[in-house]
Amino acid sequence: MKNKHIIAIVVIAISIAAILSTVADSSTYASFATALKSPNKTFHVVGLLVRERPQEYNPEVDADLFTFYMKDMEGIEKKVLLHMARPQDFEKSEQIVVIGKMEGDEFVAHDILMKCPSKYNDPKSEIESMSRN
Amino acid sequence: MEIAYIGEQLFWGKIGNFLIMLGFTSALLSGLSYLAALRTGDSSWKKLARGAFGIHAVSILGVIGIIFYLIIQHRFEYLYVWEHSSTTMPLRYIFSCFWEGQEGSFLLWMFWHIILGAILMFRTGEWESGVMSIMALVQVFLTSMILGVIVLGQKIGTNPFVLLREHPEFAKLPFIKFPDYLNRIEDGRGLNPLLQNYWMTIHPPTLFMGFALTVVPFAFALTGLLRRKYSEWIKPALPWTFLAIMILGTGILMGAAWAYESLSFGGFWAWDPVENASLVPWMTLTALGHVMLIQKHRGNAIISSIVLASITFFFILYSTFLTRSGILGDSSVHSFTDLGMSGQLVIYMLFFLVLAMVLMFIRRKDLKDNSPEEQFASREFWMFIGILVLVIGSLQITFTTSTPVINKLFGTKLAPPADVIDHYNRWQIPVAILLCLLIGIGQHFKYKQTDWNQFIKNVVPSAIASLVITLISAIFLGIDYPVPYYILLFASVFAVLANLSYMIKVTGTKFNKAGSSIAHIGFALLLCGALISNSKKEIISRNLKNVDLGKDFPNKENILIEHKKDTLPMGEYYVTYAGKVQEGIHIYYNIEYFKADEQTGEKKKVFELAPFIQLNERMGNVAEPATKHYLTKDIYTHITYAEIEKKDGSNEDEVYQSPTVMEMAIGDTIITSNSFVILEGLDKNIDHESNHLHDMDIAVGAKLRVEDVNKTQYKTLPLFLIRDYTMFHQDTEIPELGLKFSFQKIDPVSGKVEISVREKKSNKRNFVIMKAIIFPGINILWTGCILMVIGTAIAVRKRFSKSLS
Repeated sequence: MKNKHIIAIVVIAISIAAILSTVADSSTYASFATALKSPNKTFHVVGLLVRERPQEYNPEVDADLFTFYMKDMEGIEKKVLLHMARPQDFEKSEQIVVIGKMEGDEFVAHDILMKCPSKYNDPKSEIESMSRN
Repeated sequence: MEIAYIGEQLFWGKIGNFLIMLGFTSALLSGLSYLAALRTGDSSWKKLARGAFGIHAVSILGVIGIIFYLIIQHRFEYLYVWEHSSTTMPLRYIFSCFWEGQEGSFLLWMFWHIILGAILMFRTGEWESGVMSIMALVQVFLTSMILGVIVLGQKIGTNPFVLLREHPEFAKLPFIKFPDYLNRIEDGRGLNPLLQNYWMTIHPPTLFMGFALTVVPFAFALTGLLRRKYSEWIKPALPWTFLAIMILGTGILMGAAWAYESLSFGGFWAWDPVENASLVPWMTLTALGHVMLIQKHRGNAIISSIVLASITFFFILYSTFLTRSGILGDSSVHSFTDLGMSGQLVIYMLFFLVLAMVLMFIRRKDLKDNSPEEQFASREFWMFIGILVLVIGSLQITFTTSTPVINKLFGTKLAPPADVIDHYNRWQIPVAILLCLLIGIGQHFKYKQTDWNQFIKNVVPSAIASLVITLISAIFLGIDYPVPYYILLFASVFAVLANLSYMIKVTGTKFNKAGSSIAHIGFALLLCGALISNSKKEIISRNLKNVDLGKDFPNKENILIEHKKDTLPMGEYYVTYAGKVQEGIHIYYNIEYFKADEQTGEKKKVFELAPFIQLNERMGNVAEPATKHYLTKDIYTHITYAEIEKKDGSNEDEVYQSPTVMEMAIGDTIITSNSFVILEGLDKNIDHESNHLHDMDIAVGAKLRVEDVNKTQYKTLPLFLIRDYTMFHQDTEIPELGLKFSFQKIDPVSGKVEISVREKKSNKRNFVIMKAIIFPGINILWTGCILMVIGTAIAVRKRFSKSLS
């Protein structure tokens, strides 16, 4: 039984390490305000695209830079510099999550997640088009 | 007032609902009767239970048949049919439509349980009552997921036969009130185009068959506890466990192949929560298979066997919960929607977990392990270590994948790691190294006791050969190649060679004994291929214009390539964009790859690829890559951005692109595709008459200097004016350059102004933004996959023929 005890201790130790590393590595869902407070930390900021504000993508100049404005869930609006090609059908997305850091007054993101309303089986948009018939 | 709807076919829905109820009650009856048969040993209970399971099987098959019939008939009065199919959809995707939604995929899962149940009923002899009672109980829970009845204000399941007009969102609509509303529905919503892919026809059924098979060892383990036959269940359950390992593994790898072929992230594995959710049970299942082998040979691993069988089944349910409760919402792109079934899924999950725990607790005295300590030099000792490594690896993946669950339980706001791949790799590379080393030495140990000298004689040559191979490969991999990768390379090569030598020495020509060796070689090759293709992948579409933002911001991966104009060097190739063709909803972009002749320097075309963009109104356009396969490498090509002309819109929008709006201070520049626009200053002395302004208007002009590529200069003065307390702007145009300017705002505080520039579409050059990646050695990975499946298949066949004899 001695071996088994040692093994059990090893398993528990590694599991605790795994939990700690998960917590240590994980980023946080936050607002721009929180991200502004710790400029060197990576955050996931959830928000909505500000359609009235300009979106810029000049692939001739830089194919890996796309900028737009996003309003976070607390209503704060910031310019986002996304270092990626402009995502396909970006304007269709409703909610977006940008992953990156605050740099000055801009949010510099290296990745983006987009939620299209219809992807989530919300039949509303279809209903609207149908009721026009 | 009741509306008499025209053209609805409600008959099949009613039959379907009846069959669901019948399927639910008969599964319950079958489960309870089997339990009674188990208790009393009375064969009449067993007869009743078999009959009930038969009725259950027929009912569920009937439900499936009706749904297929309704899809073929385009009966859009049924919500499920409308949501998942359309008249324009090719018939070959009918299976994908069927299991696109939750209801259909639950039915697919049940379908496999029915097939399994029908086999187990007649093949398990004395184990039938116990095993089948668990199977039937699992079916009770699964059928409850499609019940769609309301009990005590709580909705149970979602029914696949719900009518479109009954859906709360639809019921509000005016057109639903017309008796002939069916004629007003133009078409169904159709299958998500992402899933219109042959992989999506074979991947889900394979995966669900794997899911279904994991219930077999679990049912046997619980029956073993119930019947106090703690070790006897191992033998009949063993072939099923390995069959589950094989099928679930195949299903996961098919998903990886699908991702590699048709998803845009550039790779076969992304540590996505949904991928993880099926990998974790495979890892614990593989651990279970091996612990059952220890139990069979040495009889000292019974608790571990029961625990792992329960954990595996629990992880299958947990993975179902993760993907179907909507809890992954933010962290995964391809989970299902929340249909309000999370509560039910939690109950399902906890029921079987608690059942297993209670049974083990009741039988705890019998389960006391009095077996002697394992010998250090025994196969079971090292297998046990391997099992632990697998379990630890699976727990680590589970922890990180579960962050949304942890957030929900504890109200935290943890997001996935910023660099997910790096986080997982840091843990899983050591796991992979240990597994490879253990796989290499494992077979060279004998059960109970091994002669060390013999062992060393067997293993050392492979170890030396692997070391040599690793050192030689260092010439290609370079000094700066990370040390853990070198170790994994060594370990995987060692695993391959050690198993190969075992196969040659021990199994010889006895092909049916080589199963485990072949599977282990396959697994090691898979890891080796994954390592090489991932660590040595080369993004050849280097965008050299950008400033380096460091490792976290890979901003140099996409490149602009202009139609018939650019020939860009990418790696050893020269690449041009030869044009695009639209076929149906796909726009294909022809990308041609040239190579320079070594002597003449003349560029010769070597191949062309046609990555495409799928136009998809509903889900948003989707780009699919194209890949050129060579024996030693793949060249992956993906369109990351392309201008897509829209057919609708006003005249203005057809001719002009959407405006670029810039907030400018004096001296700032806007870059358009053909010119620079410089704000020189503001002009407050606007001549009212020549600009057709009213007397009381207050006007400011933005003095813009526009310089084209030939240095020709143009001046223009768009106006911003206030007339009767309202803001207006008077736009200007430079027709020679196809540019329109508009002065829209002044910020009185900063003095900055907002200028919008619209460019004619014809200005824009025809271009695409693409990404090209070379994956070397990816075929090592696929070879490994195939060998793993073949090897496991041989082992399964051998075990089945043994268990039947």
